[in-house]
Amino acid sequence: MTKGVKLALFAVLIIFLGALAALVFLRRPAQGTWVEILQENKVLYTLDLSQEPDRTFRVELPDGSWNEIRIEDGTICISDADCPDHTCVRTGKLHSEDIPIVCLPHKLIVRYCDPPEES
Amino acid sequence: MKTKRLTELSLLTAAALIAFIIELRLPDLSAIPGVKLGLANIFTVYAVYRFSCKEVFLMMITRIFLGALFSSNFSAIIYSLAGGILCLGGMLLLKRVIPANYLWLCSIFGAILHNTGQIGAAAILTRTPAVLAYYPFLLVSGCIAGLFTGLCAQYVLKRLIRRKTDQDNG
Repeated sequence: MTKGVKLALFAVLIIFLGALAALVFLRRPAQGTWVEILQENKVLYTLDLSQEPDRTFRVELPDGSWNEIRIEDGTICISDADCPDHTCVRTGKLHSEDIPIVCLPHKLIVRYCDPPEES
Repeated sequence: MKTKRLTELSLLTAAALIAFIIELRLPDLSAIPGVKLGLANIFTVYAVYRFSCKEVFLMMITRIFLGALFSSNFSAIIYSLAGGILCLGGMLLLKRVIPANYLWLCSIFGAILHNTGQIGAAAILTRTPAVLAYYPFLLVSGCIAGLFTGLCAQYVLKRLIRRKTDQDNG
């Protein structure tokens, strides 16, 4: 085992353990009930899941593509979309503060947010 | 480029494409985008240790373009390219430091760099830094997948070298 190999092995171990630690740290369950839906970093909706009635609605993009958002018993998920990969649909319900539902082709994000300030 | 080498490279590209298409048909391992085995990487790592920089690069680009064509997912090609080029560049450099019997180590780095390139491209191009939240997942899965594909490539390489020396002796 040469010095280069040892160094590489060490680097891999550090990256792996670091990522693992970050995973454990990131696994924060949802704390609030406020959720925002963003498209290209612009907030389209801000919703309070504890107040929302069960419903399904579509978020349409200017070019006609869409994502269907479903709110059910205080949970939110993307139930259908016309994007090519459907990753957003397979992600399932939003359940973590730090891991948003992302639809890359449509640049759409559903994530938890802070409650808006009372004015 | 000699005909024999050209044929060998084409064959490898075809085999990598087949692995890529088979993997598309497998159910997703996880809901996180980008978490996958990367079976096609077996052929890339193998090629890194058998062919020159230019040859592997050509092979990789061909595979990415044809792969996008076959999977009819052209919108993802920019992410594949970003990941692929970073992965290949890193592995070609590491080849100088890491000998063939530690090939799996090189493959792990390749997987890490591939995921880095992909998620970096996704965060920059879509201007949504939130996707970086997936990065730790991708790193952990990338290490495991890279180890697996690297070991596969290492066994193939070992057998091929043994067979070659047998032929030379016989």
